[in-house]
Amino acid sequence: MKLRNVIMLQYLNYNIVFQEVPGEVTLAINLSNCPNRCKGCHSPFLQENKGDVLDEAVIKALLAKYGEAITCICFMGGDADPQMVGQLCSYIKSYTNGQVKTAWYSGKQKLPDGFDVMQLNYLKLGPYVESLGGLDSPDTNQRFYVIVRGELMDQSIFFQKKKGFPSGILLQDSCN
Amino acid sequence: METFIVKRDGKKEAFSIEKIKSAIRKAFLSVGSFATDEVITNILCRVNITSGVTVEDIQNQVEIALMSERYYAVAKAYMIYRQKHLEDREVRDKLEFLMEYCNAQNAASGSKYDANANVENKNLATLIGELPKSNFIRLNRRMLTDRIKDIYGKEVSDRYIDLLNNHFIYKNDETSLANYCASITMYPWLISGTASIGGNSKAPTNLKSFCGGFINMVFMVSSMLSGACATPEFLMYMNYFIGLEFGDDYYLDTDRIVDLSKKQRTLDKVITDYFEQIVYSINQPTGARNFQAVFWNISYYDSYYFNSLFENFLFPNGSKPHWESLNWLQKRFMKWFNRERTKTILTFPVETMALLSENGDAKDKEYGDFTAEMYAEGHSFFTYMSDNADSLSSCCRLRNEITDNGFSYTLGAGGVSTGSKSVLTINLNRCIQDSARKGKHYLFFLEEVVDLVHKVQAAYNENLKYMQEKGMLPLFDAGYINMSRQYLTIGVNGLVEAAESLGIEITDNPRYEEFVQQVLGLIEYYNKKYRTKDMMFNCEMIPAENVGVKHAKWDKRDGFRVNRDCYNSYFYIVEDESLNIIDKFRLHGRKYIEHLTGGSALHMNLDEHLSKEQYKQLLRVAVQEGCNYFTFNIPNTVCNACGHIDKHNLRECPICKSHDLDYLTRIIGYMKRVSNFSESRQIEAAQRHYATVSEL
Repeated sequence: MKLRNVIMLQYLNYNIVFQEVPGEVTLAINLSNCPNRCKGCHSPFLQENKGDVLDEAVIKALLAKYGEAITCICFMGGDADPQMVGQLCSYIKSYTNGQVKTAWYSGKQKLPDGFDVMQLNYLKLGPYVESLGGLDSPDTNQRFYVIVRGELMDQSIFFQKKKGFPSGILLQDSCN
Repeated sequence: METFIVKRDGKKEAFSIEKIKSAIRKAFLSVGSFATDEVITNILCRVNITSGVTVEDIQNQVEIALMSERYYAVAKAYMIYRQKHLEDREVRDKLEFLMEYCNAQNAASGSKYDANANVENKNLATLIGELPKSNFIRLNRRMLTDRIKDIYGKEVSDRYIDLLNNHFIYKNDETSLANYCASITMYPWLISGTASIGGNSKAPTNLKSFCGGFINMVFMVSSMLSGACATPEFLMYMNYFIGLEFGDDYYLDTDRIVDLSKKQRTLDKVITDYFEQIVYSINQPTGARNFQAVFWNISYYDSYYFNSLFENFLFPNGSKPHWESLNWLQKRFMKWFNRERTKTILTFPVETMALLSENGDAKDKEYGDFTAEMYAEGHSFFTYMSDNADSLSSCCRLRNEITDNGFSYTLGAGGVSTGSKSVLTINLNRCIQDSARKGKHYLFFLEEVVDLVHKVQAAYNENLKYMQEKGMLPLFDAGYINMSRQYLTIGVNGLVEAAESLGIEITDNPRYEEFVQQVLGLIEYYNKKYRTKDMMFNCEMIPAENVGVKHAKWDKRDGFRVNRDCYNSYFYIVEDESLNIIDKFRLHGRKYIEHLTGGSALHMNLDEHLSKEQYKQLLRVAVQEGCNYFTFNIPNTVCNACGHIDKHNLRECPICKSHDLDYLTRIIGYMKRVSNFSESRQIEAAQRHYATVSEL
């Protein structure tokens, strides 16, 4: 019990975002206590042990406030307690009857053993490596997957294609 | 202690008796007489000088002294001399303004009275427009106060001037004689050309004469309005004339060659060439409007709105508007205009898409999809969504209740005709903070102000009717505008700032909601109370680009709490980063806009474009929250070095890599270069918060 308390999920804040999960209106929850310590991390404040506990009650409250307006909830981080991420994803699915999708931005190279990928619609894997850059960098090591019937379909290319649209014809063929 | 007098420019100077003596001597000499020392002493005995007295006051005393000593001819000469100097000073002031204007950074900074002029460059024509503005303000004020005195008495008239001078209220567009804005019905023009409004063109008979005549008609109408001219039937009429020439099913094959000249143009090219002619002509600076472009609005409709507005409509040849071809034409125009805007900065038309909603989404799926598609393609336009086609927003911000969907053989469709005769704005922040200073509940004072602005607007209405009786308003007489369908608008500014001053948190919370309901509900109550057969009132949150800056400046100067340099035009604090996009829709949702009968536009500032699916979801969010009028505002980039225009918000030109960039953003609904804003507005634009669409 004591161990669980130490590594429970904590969140610092949340926001409505559009680029992390293509095509979705996403409530991104920024989880703190990140264990990955990537060099050049763009939000080092998320490495600190601070914020409020994130549990089903908090998710329920967020859904009451934004559930009708969003199409997806994305956990940004949470590698300190992947089990809890899975549990909350499962909660979101059952509570909204599958109306709200789930996404997870993990900094690990692969999913932890025993993680039920069926709880997710979208998944980002891979630590941030400064020399390779993030998902929008052509050399990135990070991968973005859409999960279809339990299979991970690599859609990282989406984040590459965004660059260099001719002006006036934006995002036309890339997001549907 | 030395005695000081105060000069006209406010500077202090040591008092000199010799100067007065010299002036008196000159006055005597000018009538062929001579003032002895004794005479001068007698006159000066009647003049009382205390330290701090003004030059004006001394001269008044000298005048009276000359008359008391019975030197009437000298007194008269002295008065004429003073008047001449007064006139010289006025000319000098104008000259000074002229020089300042010539030196100003751009036209908007140079403008003293109406800084939001939609003028691209300063030049002789814009200067000519600026110079008489102060005279117009005096004239307008005088006409209005004379009428208020007539109807309500001197006390009310004086109170109006008092509230105006102390910036509790603001009279919009006081620099123009014309009534404010109008959404017109073009039917009278379709039947009889421009003759009835003083022009000489006949009714349009074919596509070519429609397009040419339309441009002239818009210019003529705009010259008799101080604000926008909306033509919500523009595309429907154009569609009619295309149909006359190429058949109602023309849209089924637009790739066919219809131009037998050497150019061999396709029908699509012929149509888009007409788009080009109209749009580029109307975006030209207009001589008759002091080099301002006319402010032109158009509308698009989904099939439900179209039916509701035009189901009874008949063209002069007895045919009904043809939806299938209009559907094609609306989309073609929008796509064409979006692409054209990457070639040139085109401000007008301001476009509004009218969508009917049902079950939390756009009822017309095709148009809901198309709307999202156009936003995703980077097009900038407004969307008006309502669950009932009983209201429409055809002006840049004006929402009107459609009371008449009927059709008349002289006036056309009833639903499209609306507008605002005049706007009078209440500075809520000052009203509420001033009440607190005086230890009174703000509602008492606010009620007095609200009552008074209605009286002032009623007086304005009488002046307008007088003008009409004298034949000065042909737009009304010819039926382009209907007097009884135009609103007298009560504007509000500084609402968020007023709530802040009361310690209310500006988020979606019961206390803020109650405050908004209370203040706007009070205005609506008076709107109904003062309503008569020929007088309707509405209330709108005015776009604060110009007034918001002035109010913030004046209120700060007078020691009120002012948290920003430009008062918000929104229900939220623009720079508040803790509010997300959905929160902002909610704060412009039904709970807050209920009493804003004249409307308010949510400008959702984003730092990048979204995808079609995401915009579709945001349309649903707007419906759920009851936010009926909105646009998405993503700064477009213009390269000052190579002229490239990009729909994205960039830091470097993708073509020539230059960093000398400018940004296009919306100002009162229309796109404009940030560097053409007045200086204070540029600061505001730089601070304007664009919601980050990514946490990456």
